[in-house]
Formats: sequence, structure tokens, C-alpha cells
Amino acid sequence: MIKSLVLDLAYHLHTSNSYQKTKHFFYNILENSDNNYKRYVDLFMITLIFISVAILIREVKSHVEDSLVFFNNFVISFIFLMEYILRLWVSSSVTQTIIDQHEHDLLIGEKFRLSKALKKILFTKLKYIFSFKALIDLFAILPFFHQLRLLRMFILFRVFKLFRYAKSIQTFTSVLKAKKFEFLTLSIFASIVVFVSSVVIYVIEANNPDATISTFFEAVYWSIVTISTVGYGDISPLSSEGRVVAMFVIVAGIGVYSFTTSLIVTSFTEKLDEIKDLKLIDDVSKIQSFYLICGYENISREVAKRLCKNNDVIVLEEDPIKVESAKKDGFIALNYDPGSTESYKRLRIDIQKQVKAILCLGQSDVENVYTALTIRSFNQDIFILSILKNSTNRAKLTFAGVNEIVYDKELIGAVSKEFVGKPVAFEAIHALHSSHYDVEVEELLIDERILESYNYVGEFNNKKYRIVLLGIYRQSKEEFVFNPSDEEPIEFGDYLLVIGKAIFITEFNNYLHTKVS
Amino acid sequence: MNEKVALLFGDNEYTQEIVKNISSEYGEIHILTLDNSKENNFDLSDNWDDLSQKYDMSLCNAFCLLDDIAENIFLTISLRDSFKDLTIISLSHDRESTRKLHLAGATKVLPSIETTANVVAEMLEKPIVTKVMHKILYEQSDLKIAQVQIDDDSLFLKENNQKLYTDIEWCKEHGIIVISVVHEDMSSEFIYSSKAAHHVVQSGDTFVVVGYDKDIQAFEKIIGQKSEK
Repeated sequence: MIKSLVLDLAYHLHTSNSYQKTKHFFYNILENSDNNYKRYVDLFMITLIFISVAILIREVKSHVEDSLVFFNNFVISFIFLMEYILRLWVSSSVTQTIIDQHEHDLLIGEKFRLSKALKKILFTKLKYIFSFKALIDLFAILPFFHQLRLLRMFILFRVFKLFRYAKSIQTFTSVLKAKKFEFLTLSIFASIVVFVSSVVIYVIEANNPDATISTFFEAVYWSIVTISTVGYGDISPLSSEGRVVAMFVIVAGIGVYSFTTSLIVTSFTEKLDEIKDLKLIDDVSKIQSFYLICGYENISREVAKRLCKNNDVIVLEEDPIKVESAKKDGFIALNYDPGSTESYKRLRIDIQKQVKAILCLGQSDVENVYTALTIRSFNQDIFILSILKNSTNRAKLTFAGVNEIVYDKELIGAVSKEFVGKPVAFEAIHALHSSHYDVEVEELLIDERILESYNYVGEFNNKKYRIVLLGIYRQSKEEFVFNPSDEEPIEFGDYLLVIGKAIFITEFNNYLHTKVS
Repeated sequence: MNEKVALLFGDNEYTQEIVKNISSEYGEIHILTLDNSKENNFDLSDNWDDLSQKYDMSLCNAFCLLDDIAENIFLTISLRDSFKDLTIISLSHDRESTRKLHLAGATKVLPSIETTANVVAEMLEKPIVTKVMHKILYEQSDLKIAQVQIDDDSLFLKENNQKLYTDIEWCKEHGIIVISVVHEDMSSEFIYSSKAAHHVVQSGDTFVVVGYDKDIQAFEKIIGQKSEK
């Protein structure tokens, strides 16, 4: 009876959209560092921690208003308690464990063993509860029981909660973790030195009536103060033998101190590239819209230079030397293989949402076909442009799902024809395109705002803005109306193709969007 | 009959594409290679006497399309040294070689990477402009781009004497759009630039126009009509 009730409830919750949505929401804001709202939750929590600690400090020697004490003991603690419960909730799925156990038992033809499922749940939850971070969270809630005055000191555990929210502290910990063995060796060495010197100094000094070291605790205290190179001077050896021991401890202290420093510096240097890479990946995942260039060759450099004027451009390249070259050219470059699905997963790039278009500009058709196929294997819609190196491979690129193929030899052929046939026109068009004249051919979208004020071409005042209206491109019919008459109607979604100085085109566009009353 | 001769130095994919595109512009097209086993070969150490004996160089245009950029520059400089007035069109792959080819005396440099990069960037940033302009420039539609020069004794010049460019109703009267004006000194001006706005129609001016073939032909006819002296 209970078993079937529990099972029904588990299946109900597991398939309930609202339950899963709510759980996912809390998981995102508490644990998912890619989530945009998490940083606000983290900031809020950090603020609460500082408020809490500030009240504690103030409370030591001054009277703190009751409302503030209430806020600290109840409101903040309650928020932390809620956070603790939510984290415990999202740490693992109870329903999933029950369902898995049921399906497993069904498969092997046994009765559903609820007790086994509950054991597994208990084990998973306890594993979380006794994790370092969860323990700190728990201690941070304890001041809630403020009647126990000692527990007030647990407010300080709230400071440790900063580990959860400040990424730089997490980075520091991970760097130290990488040198765990070295730090352990160092601590063992330091402990032996402290222990031996404490015993020796105690044996030498303890029986001297004038000595400041009279207990073993004082000997240990002296050893630690000396080996750490702090040396308060409140306790010091008086006998010559004691001073000899002190000299050894001081030398050992210098060794321990410098070794520790060098260990930290080395581990940081070793991890620097990784840290930088992680930071870069983090930054890239926050860029809302960009062009993704796969492969960094000469053509990629030139294309990136043009695109980066108005857009963000990210370069993916497998060769570290080329990545460095891209970085030197001022682009965001990541040392990942563009032909591997794993790269996109690790980079956390949402192709559909973030990427405007993917440009396969690798050094060979083989590379570009491979990259295009990789991308198509997990995204069917993104626009892919590729250059073609050898005309015989055109069909392969199309087959791989490339939307637009650019063949440089074909372009050079067309340009040659234009130059040979109409050299003056060619030069004039080329000059208009060059930045020297600042003249551009631009497309202006006819939107609802423009249609509110204008219906016909004749109503535009393009001559006033020194703009040539080359024609209208009717997107719906995919036709180009060249040199439209004044009576030509304009429609929503049309594009005006205009030639003029960039600044005048902007002014003209603004003028079109200014409502005529 | 078209007597113009194209001499293409180097045999590669660029050569094949250029041959496809320029065949209508030349009476003869010859591909010369560095490969000694082929009949039409050349050597970079040649003094080009053979070439001038074989072809009338005043009718020739040379295309330097060698794969090795250093050889291509050497070829360009050798040809310029021997033939001062020859039109030399050279292929380059980067900015540095473009500069060197200009210094070597190339009349026109075809920068493959720059051209491709421009097209790729415009395709992404201005897809419609690229589509339309590509069709106009490379004659894939009825619309054409053309250059029309005004002669001294043109009737058009007489009728529009002292008229500013911007005062002439090109679109309404002739069905064409004038994009720019190229002066006798080969300096070009956008039709609505401040400088061009104060210019009057003069003999020797060349208009770069866009329009349908028949309108351009009609306009050429008007421009070409001689005034009665």
C-alpha cells in the first residue's frame, strides 16, 4: 500500500512539468554558473554575509538595535536555511532514484524494494550533507538558535560561505589542490621541525627558573611563532643551547616560507593558461551574438578584420601557433578543434542563440567539410559559409550542409572580366567601395515605422541627403526593382538599396524613421 | 574582329577561371607555362625577344598568375622592364605581395584574399546588396554597369553646357542611374559628393552608369550624337 503510494507519487512528480520546472529553476540559480541570474543570487548572498559579519563586529562593544539583531538572527538565518534546504533538494533526484529502483526490480522480476531505494536516497543526501560546502552552509544557519550564545560565533562560518560565491576563491583553491602532494610533504616537514624543536627547547629550557618556556604548550607555541618567521619575542630561549635550537628553527622557517611561496607561484604559473582559458570561455558564453570563424588562415584574418568593425568575432583553431597569431591580431581565439563536437560542448556555446553564422575558413576542403559536418550533426539551422579550395570539392561541401560556398578563383575570374571589359567602371566601383571615399552601398529595411509615414518612393527625400536610390529589393517576391518611379509603392519587408556617404545614409535612415505628423 | 591578345603566364585553377571569363573580350588567348615539357613554355630568365617576335605586344594584355609569389613578382618586373606600355594584370595573395607587385610595375593587381574577404564579409553583413551588386557587376541580370564618355563635339555636352551634374534628371530622362564621374585625370567622384555637386558637365568626363542594356545603349547614343558645328 505504502509502496504503491510512494511509487505513484514519484512517477507523478517525475512527469510533472511544474515540479521539474521549479526544481530546474532553483538548480539554475543556485548551482549553474552559466545561468545569468545566478550572479545576482550570489551577490545577494554575499551582501547578507557582510551585513551579518558587520552586525557581529558591532555587537562586540556597542549596543545594536533590536531590529538589526532580529534581522541577523532570524531573517538572514532563515534565508540561509531556505538556501540550505533548496540546495539539499536539487543536489540529487529522489524521484529518479525510486523510479530507477522500481524499473530495476521489474526487470529482474522481483518485488519493488522501497527500503533499498530509501537507503540509496539517504546515502546520497548524507553524502551531500557531510560535504565541506554543505557543512559550512549548515554552520552558517546555527546562529538561528541564538539562545545558545556560543552558536553566535558560527556567524563567522558565513564568511566561509564566500567560497561558494566568489569565483576567484574557488580558482585559488583549485590551484592549491593541484599541488596537494607538495603541500602535504611541506606540512609534514614543518610539523616534524616544530615537534622536534618543541621537545628539545622544552627539555633545555623548562628547568631554568628564569626561562619563559615553562610548559610544553609554550614550547610548541614558540616553535610555531619562530618557524613561521613571525617571532613575537614574548617567549624566547635564554640558554645558549636553546638559542642554537632557535637558529636551526629560524633557518628551517626561512626554507618552509620560501618553499611555500614558490609552490604557490609555480602552481599559479602552471595553471595560468588554464585559468585564462576558463575565463575566456566564460566571457564567450556571455557574448550574445557573434560570428564563429573555424580555422585561422590569411583569409580568416582579412574576413575577421572586416566583420569585427560591427560585430563580435570568435576564432576556433586547433593549432596553438595560429591561435597566438589570432590573439596578436586582436581577436578572441580559442585553442579548440572546430571539427570536434566535444569542443562546442566544452565551450558552452549555444549555436542557435549566440552564433550569427559559422565560417569554415580552414586551409583545406577536407578540414572545412569535416567542420561543416560536425556542426550539422547537432545543428541543422545555423548558416554555414565555407570557402572552396578546389572546384572538384564543391558538391562535397554542399552535401556536408554548407549554405554558401565562396570560390576565390571564380571571384578572381569575374573580377578580371570586369577589369578587362570596363576598366573605368571597375576602378570607379572599387574606389566607391574603398574607405577613402567613405561611400557605401547600404540596404535599409522598410519597417512598420517607415510605413506609418511613407507609402511611395516619391515621398522619400533622398536627393536632399545626397543619396542615390539604386532600387527596391522586394523580399517577398525576391525581385529587384531598379530605379523605381515616384509612384512605386513600398511594402513591409522591402529593402531600399542606397549609395551614399555612410554618415548621410545614417541620417537618411533616421529621417525615414522620424514620424511625419 | 577582336585583335586583342591575352597572354596568361602560369597554368592553374586561377588561369582556368580567368580564361572562362575573358574569352569574349579577346581574339586570342595563350597560356604560357614554366613547364618545359609543354609547347607554350617560358623561362623566367628569358629576355622576351621570342615573345615580341611571336605576338604584337601592343595588342597584348599580360596576366601574371604564377603560384609562387616571388616568381610572379619577378615575372611582372621582367615584363615591365621589356615592355613599357604593356598592360600587366598580376595575381597576389596578400597585402605585402600586392604592394610589391605595384612596385614591380603591374598595371592592376588582383588581390585574391582581399577580394574573397570583401565578398564573404559583405555576404554576411549586406546579403541583399551583395546579391544585387554581384548580379549587376558580373552581368548575371539584365542590369549592367557601364562607362560612357563625353566627347568634345557631343550634342549632349552642347545641350547641357554649364549644367551641374546634380541638376540633370538622369533617372527620369534616361532611365539610368549615374553613380560616379571619372575625370580626364582619372580621378573619380561619387555623383553626390560635395566636389561633384559643384562640377559642370565637361568633355572628357566619363560617367559610370547602371541601367538596363537598352537604356544604356540609348544613353550612349545620345552622348555619342555629334553636334552640328
